[in-house]
Amino acid sequence: MQLNLDQVWGGALDKLKTWARVNSPWAIHYNSGSCNGCDIEILATLTPRYDLERVGVKLQGSPRHADILICTGPVTLQSRERLKRIYEQMPEPKFVVAVGSCAISGGAFQGCYNIVGHVDAVIPVDVYIPGCPPRPEAIIDGVVKLLESLKERGRVGERERAGRSAEPGAGDSETEEKPQQR
Amino acid sequence: MTGIWSIIALLFFPGGLFVLTCGLAYEWVDRKLIARFQNRLGPRWFQPAADVLKLLAKEEVVPAGVNPVLFKWLPVIALAGALTAALYVPMAGLPPAFSFPGDLIVALYLLSLLTLCTGLAGANTLDRFSIVGAVRTLTQLFSYEAPFMLALLSPAIVAGSWQTSEIIRSAGGQWILLTQPISFVIALIGLMGKLELPPFDAPEAETEIVAGALTEYSGRGYALFRLGRGVELVVGLTLVAALYMGGLAGPLDFALKTLGLLVVLALFQTLFARLRIDQTVGLWWRYGALLALAQMLVIVGAKVIA
Repeated sequence: MQLNLDQVWGGALDKLKTWARVNSPWAIHYNSGSCNGCDIEILATLTPRYDLERVGVKLQGSPRHADILICTGPVTLQSRERLKRIYEQMPEPKFVVAVGSCAISGGAFQGCYNIVGHVDAVIPVDVYIPGCPPRPEAIIDGVVKLLESLKERGRVGERERAGRSAEPGAGDSETEEKPQQR
Repeated sequence: MTGIWSIIALLFFPGGLFVLTCGLAYEWVDRKLIARFQNRLGPRWFQPAADVLKLLAKEEVVPAGVNPVLFKWLPVIALAGALTAALYVPMAGLPPAFSFPGDLIVALYLLSLLTLCTGLAGANTLDRFSIVGAVRTLTQLFSYEAPFMLALLSPAIVAGSWQTSEIIRSAGGQWILLTQPISFVIALIGLMGKLELPPFDAPEAETEIVAGALTEYSGRGYALFRLGRGVELVVGLTLVAALYMGGLAGPLDFALKTLGLLVVLALFQTLFARLRIDQTVGLWWRYGALLALAQMLVIVGAKVIA
């Protein structure tokens, strides 16, 4: 009985947490060596024409307040440590969106002497948005895809909880399906 | 019986749950109005609730070099101060839950507690942006506090009492803002200074000092500070509406008057650009305090003659 009650409350709490996370993604924007093309497009995304506040996105100045790190450009040798530090300063759960061709593969800067490479070489990335630069619609689409995957993760968490409390052995087989959690 | 009534007053109405919900609702109205004035669609109705819930569910990072006890308890004290102030003002148009001669002064000091805690929270961390933010927060506190107090004490002098309900009763439904327009304007703009709303948001200017005193706060602490600010918005609006707009006759009257004031606040926020911190101090001491004093002298003179 006690176990059942725990499960019901835990499930409801998980649902509430996922709902809040999906509906209030606060972003921080970092340029790790981009040519500013993608940054202008991100600014255009946040202007009244597209108005991302209607889905709850807010640009934050402090990494401590942010959930999503929007990263543009290839990572230069100088900005590698700073990018890592900003990522480490963000509280869990945190997500990274790489915007533009350079953030995905190094783009036009590939092979330069002062480049580490793409963003994924330094910090783990959740969503890639291609384009040089991507249009605001593409950036919004990428953020929405990230939020959809968040919902999916919440559901997986619930299923796991149900499986674990039903029988102790059942949880182990499901860990294989579990998406990578950081 | 009185014990049960006190617990209900503390936890549900007018303290606790009611004020927290009200604070979130008023924050949404404020954000939505500003968005509409800027020709945007604006946030959905549950946006502040989602923000606070998400922050509560997030990890809380305690940075190196802070006093962890202060870091954890300052947000709690700030929110508790704002919630306690709600017990001494006529929430929802009903008489205050607790009342004694002098409760106006207690409510005013409890409202200052949030700002003081924000300043201390910023000074507690080693981060340079928080420290600059804390200095600006406290500087602003010392500039708007005196004119704000002088402005809210003018109706009290007319009524000859420091008790909120007594002041409202002696006004007898008359709108004091018609006879004391200067102190009304100073009280309303002082409230914006207290809440660090746009023309006075130098303490948290994101283009200069990231997020001011609360830069290092994440998760629970930041959520509590946000909730406290929402509560303070409601309590401040209630106080100004009750003192200057002929009291609050009932829930409908309360909603109409406070939301009317909120529209004015939202208009001011969209109209004016951010003042530098020295401009804020100059505005309050050169004009605000002098005008409030002049208003007070006229009132005292009229009382002496009459």
